[in-house]
Amino acid sequence: MFRVKISNAKLLRDAITAISTLIDEGTFTVSPEGIKLRAMDPSRVAMVDFTMQKTAFDEYVADEETKICLNLSELLKLLKRAGRDEAVEIQLDENTGQFVITMRGKYVRTFRMPTLEASEDEVPTPKITFNAKVTLTTDGFRQSLEDVALVSDHVRMETDGEKMTMTARGDIMGANIELLKGSDALLSVEAKEPSKSTFPLSYLSEIVKAASATSDIVTLEFSTDMPIRLDFKQTYDGTLVYYLAPRIEVE
Amino acid sequence: MGVNLAPIMVKHIVRLDDFVGRKIAVDANNLLYQFLSLIRTRSTSPLTSPDGAVTSHLTGLLYRTARLISEYHISLVFVFDGKPPRHKAKEIQKRRQLREKATKEWKEALAAGDYAKAFSKAVVMNRLTEPMIQDAKTLLGLLGIPYVQAPSEAEAQAAYMAMRGDVWASSSRDYDSILFGAPRLVRYLTISGREYLPSKGVSRPLKPELVILKEFLSTLGISREQLVDLAILIGTDYNEGVKGIGPKTALKLILKHGRIEDLPENIQKKITGDYDEIRSLFLKPKVTSVYKTTPGPLMENEIYSFLCDEKGFSRARVEKVIQRIKKSAEKPQQLNLGRWVKR
Repeated sequence: MFRVKISNAKLLRDAITAISTLIDEGTFTVSPEGIKLRAMDPSRVAMVDFTMQKTAFDEYVADEETKICLNLSELLKLLKRAGRDEAVEIQLDENTGQFVITMRGKYVRTFRMPTLEASEDEVPTPKITFNAKVTLTTDGFRQSLEDVALVSDHVRMETDGEKMTMTARGDIMGANIELLKGSDALLSVEAKEPSKSTFPLSYLSEIVKAASATSDIVTLEFSTDMPIRLDFKQTYDGTLVYYLAPRIEVE
Repeated sequence: MGVNLAPIMVKHIVRLDDFVGRKIAVDANNLLYQFLSLIRTRSTSPLTSPDGAVTSHLTGLLYRTARLISEYHISLVFVFDGKPPRHKAKEIQKRRQLREKATKEWKEALAAGDYAKAFSKAVVMNRLTEPMIQDAKTLLGLLGIPYVQAPSEAEAQAAYMAMRGDVWASSSRDYDSILFGAPRLVRYLTISGREYLPSKGVSRPLKPELVILKEFLSTLGISREQLVDLAILIGTDYNEGVKGIGPKTALKLILKHGRIEDLPENIQKKITGDYDEIRSLFLKPKVTSVYKTTPGPLMENEIYSFLCDEKGFSRARVEKVIQRIKKSAEKPQQLNLGRWVKR
């Protein structure tokens, strides 16, 4: 049995939006402790690792571990119908295998959507030794990415433990952004060794844009020519983490 | 033709984009043979230059290899065979006979107008001559692709380079690199995606495969030394193998008895040749530590004069490939998470 209630529908909607930047169909594992999903995008360049503890919900009942696979854009269409002060109830109808979404406001609306065949593959988290850790305001990071996107489709992130720089070199233009210790956007920076790595903006901008609705603070971890880990601090008991593979210069 | 480990192999079917940014040592002779087999005119003759020299292998190098570089950013180091160990004489003799037989049958099929049969024979009858190898080396040099002349077996040299970490993997169609100790073997590092099976007259799709030595050995539960003993039992390029013992039986025997010396007398005496010598051909092969794996500059004008003026290649087509290589070198290449996510 799986049944939850959440009074802040926006919370759920934003979380699903953030996941749907990478994948169209998502297999959620629901257990007595909460909900989780970990998946890579089809080209395996990025991964999302999402959890929502049962305490994030107003009511949460799941008596055993179950996998539920959903078409995320269909789910979002329905969740978008929930108004500001409307609570959302979600239930898995075990007889039909359908996902039942109920919104109680001025009147009661019930939507039904099919669940899809869940993938059995467990995606492990990447094994990476991170040498640099930078905490930024999500908005500051987002602004910086918008700046560099003007000149290139990829950005080099670099830190020596004192500051973080973001550099982009396009065919005709270049951009250089410095986030210094003590500046408003940079909350903390540390590095075991100087690290630099290049990432595709097509992914990075989309991820940060989508996740910024859920989070004010993001912690980046990276190492030279390794994937970056982006941990968006959530307001509820849960996590929203992304991994993104680097672009590398090949000799 | 290499040792037949296929029935007990542990491998991963992978995609070319899993190798982005990797440096791989390629068994050059093995790859050039494949080009010679597959790249042919409709009448099943190899491609040739105006003066009659075979150019199929150059076509393969230019178009397929260049694609691996420009599309997948895989760095290649070509390793050429040197002088084979004397133990290989029998195998080489066998291959020559196969080739001669196929050549004869090819001529007959052509005379009879049976192109399908001619093609199946043409695939087998190739000879990689010294001038052809020289041409391949010239082209590689002009493309800036490093190559290494092995003192003896190319696969042994490639394995050695991979063991030293100078390349990430060794690439060949045969499994012998694994016996020579390559930590990783990549098979079917080709673009075409199909292999022609002459005996069956059909082609089959090919996907790149990755074999990881450590994983392979631990799955079988044996050491590399034991793997070599196993190979000697089933037969290698250097010995005949024991009749009636295939990979699976050989594995059982090695698991039970540990090594050739401890096998039951009746099996041991069926092993032809000096197995200890063959062992050391795999475990301590002749290799060189003097080699370079860094790419050189692309010599554009020299490529045009060599390929177009000398070998009769179309200037427009060659230019297109060269532009693609030049363009791809400018941008950093996207990796995927595959290499950090181990299932």
